[in-house]
Formats: sequence, C-alpha cells, structure tokens
Amino acid sequence: MLQGGDRSGSGLSAERVAREAALPDLEAQIDFCRRAEECHIDSLLVDINYGKPDPMVLSMALGRATEKIKFMVAYRPGLMSPALFVQQVNTCSVLTGGRIALNIVSGHSPREQRYYGDFLSHDERYERADEFLSVCHAFWERNGAVNFDGKYYRVEDGRLNTPFVSDERTHPEIYLGGSSEQSRNVALKHADCWMRFADAPEKIKEQIRPALDSGTEVGLRLSVITRPTRKEAVRAARSLIESAPVESRRADEKRFVTGSDAVSMKKTFELAEDEWLTQCLWTGAVRSFGASAMALVGTPEEVASDILEFEEAGVSQFILAGWPKLDEMIIFSREVMPLLNV
Amino acid sequence: MMNRSLRFHWSLSQAGDKFRRSQATKEMSGLPSFEAQVDLCRRAEECGIDSMLMAIGFSRPDPLLLSTAIGMETSRIKFMVACRAGLISPAAFVQQINTLSTLIQGRVHINMVCGHTPHELRYYGDFLTHDERYDRTDEFLTVCRAFWNGREPVNFEGKYYRVEDGRLNTPFISDEREAPEIYLGGNSEKAAELAVTHASCLWRFADAPMRVRPAIAPVLEKGTEVGLLVALIARPTREESLRAAGSLIENFGAETKQVHREFARKSDSVAFTSTYKLAESAESAWLTPYLWTGAVPYLGAPAIALVGSFEDIATALMEYKEIGISQFLFLGWPDIEEMTFFGSGVLPLIRKQELSLYSAVSRQPSALSRQPSALSRQPSERKADS
Repeated sequence: MLQGGDRSGSGLSAERVAREAALPDLEAQIDFCRRAEECHIDSLLVDINYGKPDPMVLSMALGRATEKIKFMVAYRPGLMSPALFVQQVNTCSVLTGGRIALNIVSGHSPREQRYYGDFLSHDERYERADEFLSVCHAFWERNGAVNFDGKYYRVEDGRLNTPFVSDERTHPEIYLGGSSEQSRNVALKHADCWMRFADAPEKIKEQIRPALDSGTEVGLRLSVITRPTRKEAVRAARSLIESAPVESRRADEKRFVTGSDAVSMKKTFELAEDEWLTQCLWTGAVRSFGASAMALVGTPEEVASDILEFEEAGVSQFILAGWPKLDEMIIFSREVMPLLNV
Repeated sequence: MMNRSLRFHWSLSQAGDKFRRSQATKEMSGLPSFEAQVDLCRRAEECGIDSMLMAIGFSRPDPLLLSTAIGMETSRIKFMVACRAGLISPAAFVQQINTLSTLIQGRVHINMVCGHTPHELRYYGDFLTHDERYDRTDEFLTVCRAFWNGREPVNFEGKYYRVEDGRLNTPFISDEREAPEIYLGGNSEKAAELAVTHASCLWRFADAPMRVRPAIAPVLEKGTEVGLLVALIARPTREESLRAAGSLIENFGAETKQVHREFARKSDSVAFTSTYKLAESAESAWLTPYLWTGAVPYLGAPAIALVGSFEDIATALMEYKEIGISQFLFLGWPDIEEMTFFGSGVLPLIRKQELSLYSAVSRQPSALSRQPSALSRQPSERKADS
C-alpha cells in the first residue's frame, strides 16, 4: 500500500497529516517503490479518495521511475467514462511495460461520492460497476467496435487505438473488493481476484467457496506486525493503539462507519468485538485505524503459519500494510517470505 | 497586449508519423514513439516554445497520462492537456490535473475542446449536440474553477453536473498561478462566448488578418486573449519554403484527399468545416502572401500554413500581433525540423521586432491607449474573482 501515512505515533495534527497526504513526496515514494522491488512485492496499492493525489496519474509517474513493481490503481466507476478509463489504463500500460493492475472499488462513502457528482445508492453502484466493467472488458477484448446500451452507460461503435500492452496479459488484472453479495457477484463476473477483509481462516474458507468454484482468486487485505518474539510483537501492537490519540480516532471511525454504506466495513467493525480471532489475527487496531488494520501479530513463524492456513483455505493473494510500512515490509520480506517458499 | 511578448506553443505530433494527419485516424497505431516525443519536447525547450498541445482522441494515448510521463523527462516545457467535458467528472478531472501539477512543478495548461465529430464522441458515451456540448462545457468549467478558486466546499446544481459539498485536498501547485491557464478552441459564436466566460485564450484557425480582426474584436474587448492555430513552413529563403510546400503535397494522392472530405462531412465543428470549405472554394491557395491553404485538402483544417522565409514569417506573425493575436499554436512537417527552423530563424527576429516596438510604445504612450483597457490586465487577475 503506497499512499497514506504511517499513522502511529506521529503526533501530527489531523490537518497536517491531511496536508502531507495531499501532496505526493515523489522522491520518498520512488524510494519506497524501489524498496518494494527489492522485497519482491508484486504490486503496490495506490488508493483513491478526495484527500489524496489521483492514483492513476501518480502511478504513471512512479512507473516511469521504477522497473519491476506493479501498481494496483484503485478506481471508482462513476468518475469517468469507461472508454476514457480504458484509454488511461492502456496508456499507462504502454509507458510502464504493462505494470498496472486495477482495484475497482464501488465506493463506501455516499457523502464523498457526491463531491464527484455521484448520487447512486449502494446497490445501484454495484449495478453500475457491473456495466462499467462489461464495457471495459469489451474494449480490452479488441474484437471490433464496442456497442453497449445499458442503464448507466451507452457506447456506439466504440474504438480505441492504444492497446493494453503487457507480456503477460491482454487486459489488466482486476481486483474487486467488498463483502456484500452484490460485490461478490460483480467480482465473480468481472474480476481476477475478489478482495476481502480478513476473518478466521475457517470462516473465510466457507465464505469464499463460490468465488473459487467459479475460477476467481481470493485475496485478503491485512496488516502485519512481525517481531522476533511474540512478546515484542504484542507490545508493538499495543503501543500502536496507545500512541494514537484514541478518543479522537474512535470518534473519527464512528463518523466514518456511520457515513459508510459498505457492508464489508461494517462487518469488520462487528468482528472487532473479539480482540483475537486466531492466535495471531488481532482486531485491536480496527477501531482506531479502520477495517484494513486487522493484523497478523506474532513471530515470523506464527505469521507465516497463519498465512499458510489462509492459503489452505483458498486465499492466494494478500494486500499487506504495516506501521511503519517500510520497516514492516522489510521484516516481512526478510523473515516471513522465506518461510512461505515464495 | 502590444507590450507583451508573443507566446508560442507547438502541437505534439504522433511522433514517428512524419506526415501528420495524412492517414485516417482509424489506421493510426495508437502507439507513438515515446522517445521521439520526448526528443521533440526537449527541442521545444531549446526553441523558446511555451507548451506542447497534448491532443485528445480515440486514436491516441491519453493526453493527461502521456503528459505525466513526458513531464518526468523534461524540465521547462509545459503541457497543454486537451480535455473534453463529458468524459470525466469535473472533480476527478481537477484531481488529476492538480496531481499532475504537483509532479511536474505546475507545467500544465488546459485546452478545453468541445469535440468535433459526433461519431467519435459516441465511443465515449457522449450523445449531445453541438450546442449542448458547449452548455455542458460551461458547467464543467464553472465547477472546475470553483475547486481551483479554493471556495470549498463546492456546491453546484446544473443541467449536466451536480456536486454536493465537494472538496479535494491536493491543490494546483505552480509558482506562477493558482489555477491552470485555460485555452478553448472553436470558431463558432458559442465557442467565443464560452472563452470569454472561462478561458484566458481562445484558439482559432488562421485566416487573413483582415478577416480575423473583426471576428476576434468582441473577444479581445472582454479581455480574453486570442491565439491562432497554424502550420509553419519557414525556410531561410522564400524559394526554399515554396519548394518545401510543393513537395509536401506531392507525397499525397487522391486517397488522402478522400480521408479529409470524409472527415469534413462527419464533423459538426464550425472551425474545422469552415476552414476546410475556405480551402476548397478559394480561387487561390494563397489567402495572403504568406497564408497558404494548399495542404488543407490533403491534411485537414490544421494544415492551413504560413509559408515563407524567416523574415516573411516574422512579418506575418507581427501583423497578427498588431490586430491583437497574442499566442500561436504551430505544427509542421516534420515537427522537429520545422520547430528548429522556427527557433533559430524566426523567433530571434520576432523578439528583436518586439523590442523595437516596446521602445516605440514607451516613447508614444498614445499607442497603448488605442487598446481596450481590459487588455492590460493579466488573465489571472481578471478571472480570479469573476
């Protein structure tokens, strides 16, 4: 995960954090991308919201300054026409050697979506995402002129000359997140990988079977806190929430969850009632930092063994985050990845 | 206007495509040579060019992302990124442009186009008529400027766009301005009205100065600049330039003519079709001693060209400056050679003539007072609080 800071222990005011998040520090981010390349990370998630630089433009710039790392660009349908979106993605692929993947998000905050002129409800957004991805795939198939007449989009004899260019694929890998039934249906139909927040492996196993049966991969969004001993890991986890201005964070999260209509976010907040879902899977930071802060906490062996359990349950990809993210990425690459045989 | 230096922009070619616009757009590869484009932009930096026009269309890469990539390889040249309302939400567009500005030190202008071919607009899901497109562009720019003016939260309720409590955290970053300069193209009345409301400069295709002057007067009076889109064939001598012009069209046959007849038939743009008709119907291919329409039937309306020696071209440009034109957008065949002729041959003459003009003006203050007073104000001041 590229954008968004290391929120722990910074002691910075919320305004300052917002200001710094809004202005990309290109040098620092290029540095981070290169470290990720050294750590054999496949791709970096570049997320989207009104408080940050545009992820497509930022990924284009970072892609020109790096060689191996891919960028998983988050985008919401409803911001631009599918043809323009495909044209931007294809342009990015041409100029980065195909190092672009997509994280299609349907949006979780109706309030923020209205900044962009988007007034649809939760279910309508998934309907639109379905249409949006249908049109995009039609362009990527490069099988003649594209015609589409739907509820949200209409295209007549559409063509684009700039193709998606990659040695590996004819269209970008598509990740689609969400826990609602609609999100799963859209993912099964259009995505290569359905992204979810974590839960205990046995629960995950049962929830993801339909996706796996239909040939869609499943990925988890998770944080990691790996330390040489369990004691140190738990201490790091505890100090993480202690260092945050908890009361204000809680108030923020409450506002966030109340303002959100995403099923996945709400579910994860409910799970956070139990602090430990498995030996390593810790929900303690969820209330302070949001659903993606559900974390694997433990020694390299413990973290690896939990990841292998998820793998056995059918999960094949992970989007990880940590605090601070660079240190955690290095520890993960050095200590945990060798135990996973990757 | 008289006391400001002319500004020059250049159109980024489908580099590697030596004879731009000689093919039907359908047949262009959509995979231009990035290296050739970077070379052209670096040359532009040496040749005193302000910005490169980054055109938009189904046959090309996305201009905003291409500008990002080339911007990373250059240091001074600006990018005039073409945008059509109707492809993207205004907030998402502002966020993309602002992000680009933070990455390349504010080297971004916007060229707002309303579209010229309904057929192509439908590829993008855009089914509006000519006049509706201008109305939508008006709303689009109103919302964009509200974000740039820092008047957040932005609220807007129009026919085409609706925004509620809109905010964006990434600002437009530039040492010079708080918002990008907005250019708007078109020869129709709608285009002129829209430019006056929102743009700092209106682009028009070239025509003889005597016909351009009355057409642009209403726009200049309102304090909006006017620029000309024109091709260049400048050579050390007039004879060489005529030879270059002649050999340019020798390369093309009836097939290329057909491409542009077809384009003119499908287009609803006043600018494109009127220039094309002008070229088809005029008794001579020379509208003035320097302005040549001979290539238009083969290469389309943007191929209306100034042809002549370096001195001829400088004279022609200064004539336009005299009637109030303050910016030019050039193209050439091939661009990199033409740009080099311009930078080394024509530009020094222009700057010299401007210098003697300024000293003449400062001796005779009355020369300035002939100009409408609004012209002396900077566009940034003028638009900032309108």
